[in-house]
Amino acid sequence: MAEPVKTVTLTVDGKSVTVPPGTTVLQACEQADSPVPFYCYHPGLSIAGNCRICLVEIEKAPKLQIACYTQAAEGMVVRTASDNVLQGRQDVLEFLLVNHPLDCPVCDQAGECWLQDYYMAYGLYNQKFDEQKVKKSAKAVSIGPTVMLDMERCILCSRCVRFCDEITKTGELGIFNRGDHSELGIHPGKPLDNPYAGNVVDVCPVGALTDKDFRFKCRVWYLGSTSSVCPGCSKGCNIEIHDNRERGQRPHIAQGRRIMRLKPRYNPDVNQWWMCDEGRYGYKFIDENRLTQVQLRDGSGYRAGSWDEALGLLTQTLRRLKDAQQLDRAGVVLSTHLTNEDLYVAKRVFGGFGIRSLAVQPARQGSQDDFLRRADKSPNTRGAQAMGLSFDVKAVLERAARKELSLLWVFGGDLVELAGEAQAKTIADSVDLLVFQGSNVNRTCQLAHMILPSAVYAEKDGTFTNEAGRVQRIRQAVQPLGEAKPEWRVLLDVADRTGFLWEFRDAQGVFGSLASHEAAFKGLSYDVLGDQGAMLPQKGSDPSGKGSDPNR
Amino acid sequence: MADFEPLRKDAEVILAKYPRKQAAMLPVLCLVQERFGFISDEAEQWTANLLGVSVAHVHEVVTFYTLFHRKPVGKFHVQACSNVSCWLRGSEQCVKQLSERLGISPGQTTADGQFTLSTVECLCACEQAPMCQVNDAYVGPITPELIEQLVTHPEQVAAISTPFRGAPGLVEPVLSKRFSLKDSHLIQTYVRDDGYQMARKAVTELSPAQIIEEVTKSNLRGLGGAGFLTGKKWSFIPRPATAQRAGASGADPSSTDVAGRGIIPPKPHYLVVNADEGEPGTIKDRYILERDPHRLLEGMIIAAHATGCRQAYVYIRGEYAQPTNILQQAVADAYQYGFLGKRIFNSDADFDVTIHRGAGAYICGEETALLESLEGKKGFPRLKPPFPAISGLFGCPTVINNVETLACVPTILQKGGDWFAKLGYGKSGGTRLFSVSGHVNQPGLYEASQGVTLRELIFDYAGGIPEGRHLKAVVPGGLSAKILRADEIDVRMDFDSLLAAGTMAGSAGIIAMDETVCMVRALLYAAKFFAHESCGQCSPCREGTGWIYKIIQRIAGGQGRPHDLDILLAAATNMEGRTICVFADAAAWPVQSYVTKFRDEFSAHLSRPGADPPRCSSCRAESSTPALAHAGSHG
Repeated sequence: MAEPVKTVTLTVDGKSVTVPPGTTVLQACEQADSPVPFYCYHPGLSIAGNCRICLVEIEKAPKLQIACYTQAAEGMVVRTASDNVLQGRQDVLEFLLVNHPLDCPVCDQAGECWLQDYYMAYGLYNQKFDEQKVKKSAKAVSIGPTVMLDMERCILCSRCVRFCDEITKTGELGIFNRGDHSELGIHPGKPLDNPYAGNVVDVCPVGALTDKDFRFKCRVWYLGSTSSVCPGCSKGCNIEIHDNRERGQRPHIAQGRRIMRLKPRYNPDVNQWWMCDEGRYGYKFIDENRLTQVQLRDGSGYRAGSWDEALGLLTQTLRRLKDAQQLDRAGVVLSTHLTNEDLYVAKRVFGGFGIRSLAVQPARQGSQDDFLRRADKSPNTRGAQAMGLSFDVKAVLERAARKELSLLWVFGGDLVELAGEAQAKTIADSVDLLVFQGSNVNRTCQLAHMILPSAVYAEKDGTFTNEAGRVQRIRQAVQPLGEAKPEWRVLLDVADRTGFLWEFRDAQGVFGSLASHEAAFKGLSYDVLGDQGAMLPQKGSDPSGKGSDPNR
Repeated sequence: MADFEPLRKDAEVILAKYPRKQAAMLPVLCLVQERFGFISDEAEQWTANLLGVSVAHVHEVVTFYTLFHRKPVGKFHVQACSNVSCWLRGSEQCVKQLSERLGISPGQTTADGQFTLSTVECLCACEQAPMCQVNDAYVGPITPELIEQLVTHPEQVAAISTPFRGAPGLVEPVLSKRFSLKDSHLIQTYVRDDGYQMARKAVTELSPAQIIEEVTKSNLRGLGGAGFLTGKKWSFIPRPATAQRAGASGADPSSTDVAGRGIIPPKPHYLVVNADEGEPGTIKDRYILERDPHRLLEGMIIAAHATGCRQAYVYIRGEYAQPTNILQQAVADAYQYGFLGKRIFNSDADFDVTIHRGAGAYICGEETALLESLEGKKGFPRLKPPFPAISGLFGCPTVINNVETLACVPTILQKGGDWFAKLGYGKSGGTRLFSVSGHVNQPGLYEASQGVTLRELIFDYAGGIPEGRHLKAVVPGGLSAKILRADEIDVRMDFDSLLAAGTMAGSAGIIAMDETVCMVRALLYAAKFFAHESCGQCSPCREGTGWIYKIIQRIAGGQGRPHDLDILLAAATNMEGRTICVFADAAAWPVQSYVTKFRDEFSAHLSRPGADPPRCSSCRAESSTPALAHAGSHG
């Protein structure tokens, strides 16, 4: 017997809004397009109600009420912009700034500080406070491997404390002393050192907690932001890639590094508001040890080649094998770090040639927990599985070692890691052409006869399929470095040169073809995926996949 | 590293008293401090491991409460009260002399480790002003002879007790009738005087509904200061569908209803006694705890029966060492007599009482802060709703009553609710214990009808103003209450009359100030208190109380600026009504009332360009202002 769905209808700034019971006034105000400001409220944490900036006027209530804690009630009349409310907000803001150092010019939070933002929106008062500020015990102290604390900037909203209590349940942070001597801190014996510590920087609305990795590297107003997905494990946490888009004008910033930081992006079905530190700080490979040039073996060394030359050589090799009906002498090792688009084009192109020795290198296993981190440290194992690709890399490599292959094409993976140093060398010596196509230098590069530079995930469009079967988009944040290209693009060029003609020319087109050729992806498109992804359809289910993710 | 393991056995005895380990936080920290004299990093770590709590949260608690020390203190810890009542009777001089004789400033310890001198906020012994707490003993009024003894023979300094002043207007006092009897605190004398008869009757003859009806009729109101009707409060406690007392059949978790669904056992109900007396100017609960503790226990038994509670916690302020000892003995004796424990009065009912000591935080008098503290956390008031009657201690329905309120209950059952109501005035039933301190000839505790006037209390009961001086102003209901001028004292002391007079009855702590008092300085002491005691949770109060104190400090130091008074009033008004609890309001009221009612006096303290330095005939704009001994900077 289904209960009738009850709702509550209230009026916010003259606008009627209907919400489910249990909705807070703050949420109802957001729904009514009358957002109220807040510091201590965070939708992922318990309600503390201590900052008091979300005061609203509720008819029949004797005084202003905090919107974050008050429940919406039938017939309630809420005002978020009356003189009384605006005055209350301004007063609260003034209190919050009484002991704040106002050191914005040297504060790393400047530009994304909620004190600054709300001061411009609701403050703009003439400061009445003209006393000595409370001196907090320390400035810019390290409270763990990744986070710095400026306690004098802290507004004691307790978001970070609640994060460590409620989300990681590690409890490293506390607010000590009382009154205006209250200070955020750690116990000397227990630093803030947990796999999710970086999130406290995200929840901090002010410049109290800053990220050691990012602080003073780049002013935030120079940052561009691109929606993507963390490639660090099979969880597929949604992220924003923040790049220095002023590189051209300001090459001195962070030694010209392009990617400045990653931030978690809200996805209720995957990572909510959070991401792990492994993922957060795992972006360095984008700008470090990159392969940026086509390189060809020249005696004991390498010489720079061109794509034209490399592709010509590859086409020639493939043609020769085909003409000699020796395509069984070609082997391919793919990677679970490749996008669905890369894997699909590889499957089609190599399959089209009739190459059967093709396998995906299984992912590296790492540490995991019951929150976000997964042992499978690659983003697309599930995508490769969904396309029915083989994972029997061993078979391919054994054939190579037995001199049964004359062409071995390795995507991203490391033969040395896969097969050991001696075996990798044997393989390299046993084939006529060892191609390594990847984004970063690894030990296979020293063995390969041809090195093709790949774009990293931040340099290309595409999709990953996470462990739960959710297909999510990654977007190009920066141009590929040097001559690097997405793998699927290179494979299409090879195909072009060998006479195949494809109907797609961009990632979206590739995905369209993938969705129509691969049953597992049926019905999906970039439009369907949107910003939050969609589940691989199960028979007869809705591809938007709402509600079918077991990790909800 | 210190060895904490020998403490484990005692700690486990403490742990057994609480359904959650964390609730043992304050008593376990006290245990550690008793043994080692202070609480080190390692001690915090040990406590954290013992209680299964993060060490950061243990550190939060240790730094929140003033009675915990992070470094060793002297063998004799002299804590000089420096709140308003003591100030009015010379605490500044007293601290100065102590300082000179001991050769240390407040906050310091002598080189030989003998003495630590601290200034503290109200110890609620205002009738003994100026007073000190020397280790556990309350000592006062402080005289030069006492200071001499303290410095030369500190081990000989003993607690000093002031006699109860009486109930001159009452034929038969309710609360104080046994205060002056010999051995009034002993169970033998209490039983001899027909004690526990009403508890016995309640448990064995009366239904909860009958008790609540009688208490409702009595117009008994919360005498901690809020004045909420006690009968009404008790009626908010959810009643189980089966009216039977738990222990008979209601709590059997294996029983099933007709549909075959398991019945969720009802949550336990808790009775919590607020003995965290802390409102400056208030001394009443201490008298009950020390002089008639069994009356409180009897009231608790009746309240527990009325609200279905089988467990009570008495949260008693940490400074009250002697009252705690007396109450401990009373509880032990009541167990011995079968009034507490299993099957009390040979009935089906069980009732256990646990005494829980606070650790120095005024805010824990706020009922939800008290619950947080009892659960082993910082005393941060909770967001409401839910109210404690629905979800209080450990998330269970909880009745919280003040000591004095509960002490009225046996008499209400004995004489009837109507009799009690008539004893009072208007909608405030019965009598109250009025604490009178400051500039009166006979400071002390008086019992009187709720309808007594402030003038009667000051001039008839407390003997008027010393040395023929004139009354200038009165705080009628504890430091938080708005101040009244001398021409406003013809007001009855019941809750509604004082509310109508623009102030409040509060805790009935009356502080009289004579014509020599500088109101700027008086407000300075009030503001210091609120800045020191703000828990720091809500931004307006946390920042506002400190801001206000700094401004007044500057004005009192002769550095007032023309706009200061307007800023003071704005800061006070801007925090009022904008926080989780009413502490901010309580901090705002003195500012608003002192500045408004004595504006000229405040103006006279402001410096004006080109004019002579400001002058005040009372304080002569003294440049020295009392320092704030903050918890964080505290030993």
